Amino acid sequence: MSVKFEKIKRQDMIKFPYMLDFYPLEDEKFTRISSFFQNLKEGKLTTTKCKTCGKLFWPPKIVCPECFSENLQWIDLGVEGELYAFTEMRLGAPLGFVEDCPFCIGIVKIGGLLISARIDDAKYEELKIRDKVRLKIVELPDGRVFYRFFKTKE
Amino acid sequence: MRKVAIVGGGATLCGKREASWRDLTQEAGKAMFQSVGNISPKDVDSLIVGAAQPERFTFQAHVAPMVAEYLGITPKKVLARTELMCASGQAAIRYAWACVATGMADIAVAFGVEKMYMPDMAEAQTNMTCVLDREWDGVNGLSAPPFFAMTAQRHMLEFGTTKEQMALVSVKNHHYSTMNPLAHFQKEVTVEAVFKSPMVSPPLNLFDCSSMTDGAAGLILVPAEDAKKYTDTPMYIAGTGQASIGNVINNLASLTEWVPLKMAVQETLRTAKITKDDIDIAELHDCFTISEIMEYEAFGWCEKGKGGKFVEQGGPYIGGKVAVNPRGGLLGCGHPLGATAILQTLDILQQFRGEVPKGRHVKDAEIAVAHNLSGAANVHSIIAYSRGPK
Repeated sequence: MSVKFEKIKRQDMIKFPYMLDFYPLEDEKFTRISSFFQNLKEGKLTTTKCKTCGKLFWPPKIVCPECFSENLQWIDLGVEGELYAFTEMRLGAPLGFVEDCPFCIGIVKIGGLLISARIDDAKYEELKIRDKVRLKIVELPDGRVFYRFFKTKE
Repeated sequence: MRKVAIVGGGATLCGKREASWRDLTQEAGKAMFQSVGNISPKDVDSLIVGAAQPERFTFQAHVAPMVAEYLGITPKKVLARTELMCASGQAAIRYAWACVATGMADIAVAFGVEKMYMPDMAEAQTNMTCVLDREWDGVNGLSAPPFFAMTAQRHMLEFGTTKEQMALVSVKNHHYSTMNPLAHFQKEVTVEAVFKSPMVSPPLNLFDCSSMTDGAAGLILVPAEDAKKYTDTPMYIAGTGQASIGNVINNLASLTEWVPLKMAVQETLRTAKITKDDIDIAELHDCFTISEIMEYEAFGWCEKGKGGKFVEQGGPYIGGKVAVNPRGGLLGCGHPLGATAILQTLDILQQFRGEVPKGRHVKDAEIAVAHNLSGAANVHSIIAYSRGPK
């Protein structure tokens, strides 16, 4: 008895799937902190503060982990930060960032917080700890937004 | 609570293996059961599988029953998989230990497996970049090398640690891994070779970083009172400690002082009723060279900020203050996430039994610790082992 061989069809490429996308879903259909992204669209980097106990959090939350209050307010962190630490991704970038390599990554002191962020418009060799950096909003092709920082001229 | 002993274990060769997740599982399972003559898979009532990301690396969930099937185990008491990223294997040992200690299990296997080489390296790196909070840190490209690079940068700034001192950790651990036939890397490296290796994320060169590695390993745990039925040379779980503070960068206790590690060390010493000076062998989580330097400090073998000097002066070598990573560490042996802690622990067992090559044998060792960190070094897990029942 002969065995039948057949080539079957499959699509070569699949659309970049959401579960391999580092950028969060920011629409109110998917998250209760969509205001954070709405604020970014208006040029403001914000986070939540508990109106009941006064605690400021990063990242923004919907429930205060200190007192479980849901009575939170959005606080503007400003646009000026200072580099606490930095490095550069040269090898080992994940899907979606490979084409950006090399790129700088930093920890930025802003509004009393330490947050990680991409540091644009500078090479690693041009950066120093305590450099001033300024907020920048990047827009993805699908309209989502995210924050980065860039080095300002002294 | 019953005392618990480890009576045997086995492992695969680690490295860039031409083998699947399932193949690695079978290799390690066979080696493990062959190490103990009178325990068959049917005797095992419980299985805990440490696996960090099988959903990503091999697109398979619900792996615990799969491992049980491949190993011929039919668990009747406890079956689960543990995920704690780089400490997934240690979580498996802790829970297997807890199950045997409480009487939930009588013969338990703590298993660990990871297949990290994929056809596309960027896809593997994607898996490694959703470990820190993906929406707030991973999204900025913050996988392990950039995180530990910034840790190193701050440690260098605050304490004067040098790149040479960091490279010496790599030199030491690669030296010991030349004498480990299971190690991913079995060649010596020099400080110069570390400096000349490709820059991954400054100040970290490639040889400052542990690697993606394929590997699997398993251990068999029984109540201490039964241990001698299975082997003349069991080893005993003496104590354990674990602590975690924060998760995203903003909420870490400190970038340059691992407070949760200090807490886990104190808890381990307290529960094992030992002091730091009783530790003969320390299998520490040298995922990056800077990690091991900070771990010397947290264990208290040197002053805070003097970890670089400690390795420079030979403190962590065999014959120094404490033998750190005589197995070859993650730097020399590779880091197959879920399997790493199992491999560290198996090597401690073999050290106690005198089954390791002479050049890396710590003579008359009585007490050892195995440590794993995970994530942004916010989580630290330690288990202490003793050669005797204490």
